[in-house]
Amino acid sequence: MTAPDTAETLAPPCVRNGVEIDDSFAEAFPMKATRILITAHNLTWARHAGVTATGFATSVIACGCEAAIERELSPDETPDGRPGVAILIFSMSGKELAKQIERRVGQCVLTCPTTAVYAGISEGEAVALGKNLRFFGDGWQISKVIAGVRYWRVPVMDGEFVAQENTAVTKAVGGGNLLLLCRDTDSALAVAEAAVDAMKQLPNVIMPFPGGVVRSGSKVGSKYPALMASTNDAFCPALYGLVRRSELNPETRCVMEIVIDGLTDTDVGAAMRAGMQAGIAIGREGGLLRISAGNYGGKLGPYHFHLRKLLAEESA
Amino acid sequence: MSRGWTLELRRPPSLRLDLRGITPNALEGLDAAAIERLPLGEGNRFVPLAEYLRVTPGEAGVLRLVGEFTRVDRIGWAMDGGRLIVEGPAGHHVGTLMRAGELTVRGNVGHQPGCEMSGGTLVIDGNAGDFVASTLPGSMDGMRGGTLLVHGQVGARCGDRMRRGSLVVFGNAGEFLGSRLVAGTIALGGAAGPHAGHGMRRGSIVFAGDEPVLGPTFVAAVVEPLVFWQLLSRDLAQHGGPFASLPQRRIARHLGDVGAGGKGELILPA
Repeated sequence: MTAPDTAETLAPPCVRNGVEIDDSFAEAFPMKATRILITAHNLTWARHAGVTATGFATSVIACGCEAAIERELSPDETPDGRPGVAILIFSMSGKELAKQIERRVGQCVLTCPTTAVYAGISEGEAVALGKNLRFFGDGWQISKVIAGVRYWRVPVMDGEFVAQENTAVTKAVGGGNLLLLCRDTDSALAVAEAAVDAMKQLPNVIMPFPGGVVRSGSKVGSKYPALMASTNDAFCPALYGLVRRSELNPETRCVMEIVIDGLTDTDVGAAMRAGMQAGIAIGREGGLLRISAGNYGGKLGPYHFHLRKLLAEESA
Repeated sequence: MSRGWTLELRRPPSLRLDLRGITPNALEGLDAAAIERLPLGEGNRFVPLAEYLRVTPGEAGVLRLVGEFTRVDRIGWAMDGGRLIVEGPAGHHVGTLMRAGELTVRGNVGHQPGCEMSGGTLVIDGNAGDFVASTLPGSMDGMRGGTLLVHGQVGARCGDRMRRGSLVVFGNAGEFLGSRLVAGTIALGGAAGPHAGHGMRRGSIVFAGDEPVLGPTFVAAVVEPLVFWQLLSRDLAQHGGPFASLPQRRIARHLGDVGAGGKGELILPA
C-alpha cells in the first residue's frame, strides 16, 4: 500500500449527509461538438432516430464519438413545428466529428420514417449535415434557401427527407466524471440513476454511457502492451485486498462512474454539481458512502473539476 | 454611423437620368461639395449631380431621395450596403445588381427592378413594371439572392430566369409569372395572369391569393411536403397580409414545367 500524499493528509474531511467527498478532481479534455435537432411526425419516431443516431457512441476510444440525446423538444421549439429531440455529438477532432455526423445522420436519421434534421448550433465552423446526403436523391434532390439557410429536400419513400445543409462545430469539454462509491448494487444503481436524472435537467451536457452510467471505469495503460486502457483496479471491489493500492474499503462493494461531456466547462461543472447533490440527498443512509473523481494527476487534461470546490460554489 | 444625405430633385428632368454610382457606400466620406460634383448621366452625356439634385445633410446612415424620380433610372444600381430610401416613384432598374443593404421605394417603379440582385432587401411600396427580378440583356440568370417585396402589382414576366432568393408580391401579377424560373421562391398574394411558371426548371411559386390557371405541362403532386411547407410558409408569414395565414393552410402542388425538367412546383394553399 503506498502512503497517501501530503495534500490528502492535510485536507480536512468533507462529509455531507454522511457522504465523504474526496479532495480530488475530475480531469477533462477539449473536444469538438455539435448539436443536431431531429424532428419527426411524432415524438416516438424522433426518439427512434435520436436513439439510433447516438447508438454505439459511449466513448471515443472505439466509437469515434460520444453522443446522446440531450433533451426532447416540443413542437414550438423546432424549425418545422413538429416534436423532436436534440442530440449532442462529441469527438476528439473536427474531422472525425464531421465523419461521424455524416455516417450517423445518413444511416440513422435519413433512414428513419418521417424525420428531418437541422443544425442546433449556429456559431462555429460549418460542417456538412445534409450537404452530401443529398446525393441519395439521385438528381431529384432540391435545394431551398429559406431565411438565408440552405436546406435539401431529398425524395424518399414516405415523402421527403429535409436536411439543413450544414451544422456548426464548436469547442467543447469531454471527460467530466463522478465516481459513486456505494454499499451495494441496489444502492449504487439508485444513486447513479438519481444523479443522471438530475444532470439531464441541465442543458448542453450528455452522459454518453448506457443509462448515463459506466461500471467499467478505466485507468491509463495495461499489463498488455497493445491496450491503452484497462480496468480501474483501484476501484474494483472484487480486487480489494488483492491489488497493491485499492481506493476502497470492505464496506464499499459497488462503484459506478458517470461521465459527462458538455459544450463548456461551466456546463460540465454544473452537471457534476447537480449529480453530487442528488447523491448527497440520498446520503449514507441510502448507501452512498463516498464521491470521488477520476484524473491523471492533472497532467493530461486542461480542465480540472475539484469536487469540493464545486460543492462550495453551490453553497456560496 | 455614417453621415446621411438627402438628395432632392430640383426639377423634372427633360431626358432620362442615370443614377448609377450614387449609393450610400459611394457617398461615404464625401462632403456635400464632392457629392454635388459627382457625374450624373443625362441622356447621352454626364452632368454634375448638383444640376438636378439639391444635396443636404439628412438622417444618419440613410441616403434619401426626395421627389418625382419616374424619369430617373438605375437608382441603387449595384448597391452594396447601407440604406437608400426613395420618397416617391422611381424609374427603371431600381436595385438592379444590388448585393447588400436596404432599398425602399415609396411609390411605383418602372421595369426590371431588382434585376440580378444577389443580396439585401428591396422594398417597393407601389407597383412595378415588367421583368421584375429578371436578367440584364445577355445574362442567363436573374435575381440570385436577397429579398424583393412589391406591395402593389407587377407586370409581365415577373421573376423571369430568377435563380435564388425570395420575391414576394402582394398584389396581382401579369402574364408569364416565374417564366423560365431557374430556382428560388416567388410568393404571390393576388391573382396571376396566364402562363404562370411557363418553362420553369426548379423553384417554388406560392399562390396565396387566387388559384391560377394551370398550364398543361404541370402534373398534380400526390405528396404534400409538410416539413418543407412549414419551413417556407413560416418564413413567408412574417410578411403579413395574404401570407400571414400560410402556415395554417394545407397545400396542393403541381410539379413542372415537365417541358423543362419538372423539378419546379406551383404551390396552391387551400
